[in-house]
Amino acid sequence: MTDTPAVSIHNLSKSFGGIEVLRDINLTVARGEVVSILGSSGSGKSTLLRCVNWLEQPDRGEVRIGGARMGVDEATGRPLSARALAAMRARTGMVFQNFNLWPHLTVLQNVMEVPVHVQGVARARARERALALLAKVGVADKAEQYPHTLSGGQKQRVAIARVLAIEPQVLLFDEPTSALDPERVGEVLAVMRELAEGGYTMMVVTHEMDFARAVSDQVVFLEQGKIIEQCAPEKFFTRPETERVRRFLELEG
Amino acid sequence: MDAQAWRMLLDGAWVTAWTSGLAIAIGVPLGLAMAMLRMARIPVLDQLLATWISLARATPLVTLVLFIFLVSPRMGLAINREAAAVMALTLNTSAFNAEIWRSAFRGFSREQREAALACGMTPLRAFRRIMLPQMVVTSMPGLVNEMSFLIKGSPAIAVIGMVDLTRVTNRIAAVTYEPLPPILAAAAVYMALIALLVRLQAVAQRNANRLAM
Amino acid sequence: MQSNWDTLWQHRDLFIAGLANTIVLFLLAAGMSFVLGCVLVYLLEGRDNPARRLLRLLMDLMRMLPFLIFIYLLYYGLPALGLRLQAWNAGLIGLTLYYGAYFAEVLRGARLVLPPGSLEAAYAHGYRRTKAFFRIVLPQLCMRTRGETGNLLIMCLKDTSFLLIITVAELTAAANTMSSQYFIGTEAFVVAIALYWLLGIAIESLIRWCRRFGRARGFEHD
Repeated sequence: MTDTPAVSIHNLSKSFGGIEVLRDINLTVARGEVVSILGSSGSGKSTLLRCVNWLEQPDRGEVRIGGARMGVDEATGRPLSARALAAMRARTGMVFQNFNLWPHLTVLQNVMEVPVHVQGVARARARERALALLAKVGVADKAEQYPHTLSGGQKQRVAIARVLAIEPQVLLFDEPTSALDPERVGEVLAVMRELAEGGYTMMVVTHEMDFARAVSDQVVFLEQGKIIEQCAPEKFFTRPETERVRRFLELEG
Repeated sequence: MDAQAWRMLLDGAWVTAWTSGLAIAIGVPLGLAMAMLRMARIPVLDQLLATWISLARATPLVTLVLFIFLVSPRMGLAINREAAAVMALTLNTSAFNAEIWRSAFRGFSREQREAALACGMTPLRAFRRIMLPQMVVTSMPGLVNEMSFLIKGSPAIAVIGMVDLTRVTNRIAAVTYEPLPPILAAAAVYMALIALLVRLQAVAQRNANRLAM
Repeated sequence: MQSNWDTLWQHRDLFIAGLANTIVLFLLAAGMSFVLGCVLVYLLEGRDNPARRLLRLLMDLMRMLPFLIFIYLLYYGLPALGLRLQAWNAGLIGLTLYYGAYFAEVLRGARLVLPPGSLEAAYAHGYRRTKAFFRIVLPQLCMRTRGETGNLLIMCLKDTSFLLIITVAELTAAANTMSSQYFIGTEAFVVAIALYWLLGIAIESLIRWCRRFGRARGFEHD
């Protein structure tokens, strides 16, 4: 049981309008592992992440979450029904670059929405858990506010709490700090670091090199849709094998 | 204007109020249904709906209400004055509302929908709990604007003999031989109604702006 | 026994006369009301003062009235003050004043958000107020409000049908007469509605052509 990887990706390929964005990606993420996905813009990092929760459908290849096939019915080979797909997606939780909070709901309602209305959790229990999660990420005092009154860093932390409330097996972060002011980046990275240390399985697309170095178990570098380097962070940041990665590290500083 | 004239005026105002009110009550959800059907992009139905909406928006209310009232008996449907009036107003306003709802749909942020799907909501649930509540708020200013246009167009029902707030002024003038006062009084009542809707629209606009932040 | 369509064709003169009235009324009213709207916006240009506030109030009041009530005011109400208008004239004046207020409001809205740069440049180059307004500001306002202007034109076209109530022999009145005199209501109204629809499409095409014209001349780019 414990040997089943949290996420396994085999031969994943995806094209957009004739341009191959992902080419034959193979990647395994063990339970409790933190993987950072790096690369320059247009390398396919976001697309890879969005294939994991089937927001983008790959043209070829397969994705498994905790051993179960994502997006496709294992038995019949046909696409999953809307309900089955939703259930599979709930095994992953995605934090977006632009937070994507729901503006017509309060912070607390945002976090409670899925547990109460999708997962059938009793309202009182969901509320308790939501408040605890908001406290964990440090925005408990904003529970009754609407998202537009929060700063970017606060919104992102609420987004993280919202995702944790679903109790997913894997956390997916799509450039979580790219849209934040520099002063706000730290507070979100701190929360992510805590999650990593707490044993969550995480796949993080990011430009934050220090974070990737300090927190990841594995670093993956994408270039034009292919993984060209994949190793432990220490090796990646001090003795990378490929010239491309060396140039990248020089530029990113 | 004496008491009897005022009573007649109020009767006319009531006819305007209930016909317009009913048309709005049916026309707003009917417009939403048409917009949703169009968003579903069903091949033949979409073109038919688009044509229907285009026709309904291009047809003057006077022409439409006459058409429904005069032509339906030939089709075997015995439609009385009141039904024809409400039908015409409803068909007209629902077509305009359909476009208002549709533009709210298209302006909706894809990203919020993605967040809902990523959290494990089915598309239907994401629509009901995330999209629709916000669409109601963003459509409201346009919908209220259309309500005020409906009231301004409602005198069209006078052409088939409905004694609304406009036509009643003829009746009053026939009794009092003074045409100007009832017209001015009717104008005042209309303006009060529209002023109320304008105020409502401003509130709706504030709410919509807050949501867009 | 001839078909209803044959009867319709036989009495087509009535229809054509009605259509002609509608088109003439619309073209005259649309043209004059648009010019009136431009003049009103010019009058509103400048510092706020009681006269301008009164003008804005009158415009607002006009837009809170149903069109037919305004026509009633002109046709049934004015005789009480000694001024008796013919139905056609009352209709034309009514359409012109009513839509003049609407066009003015649309242009005023665009004026409020017009970036000041082009006007400042005009003054810097020695333009006086009136010339600057009509040669620099107004063309931009017209281009920017194309969509709303198109909507107003279609509304103006449709409102010509209200004039049947004060006995103007326009298109809907023709269909109505066909229906009551020759019992071909269905066919007559179908043709009338189709004509309104086509006229509306023609107006929209004209507006789209203006956009292409504006683009080619550099008035706008998007």
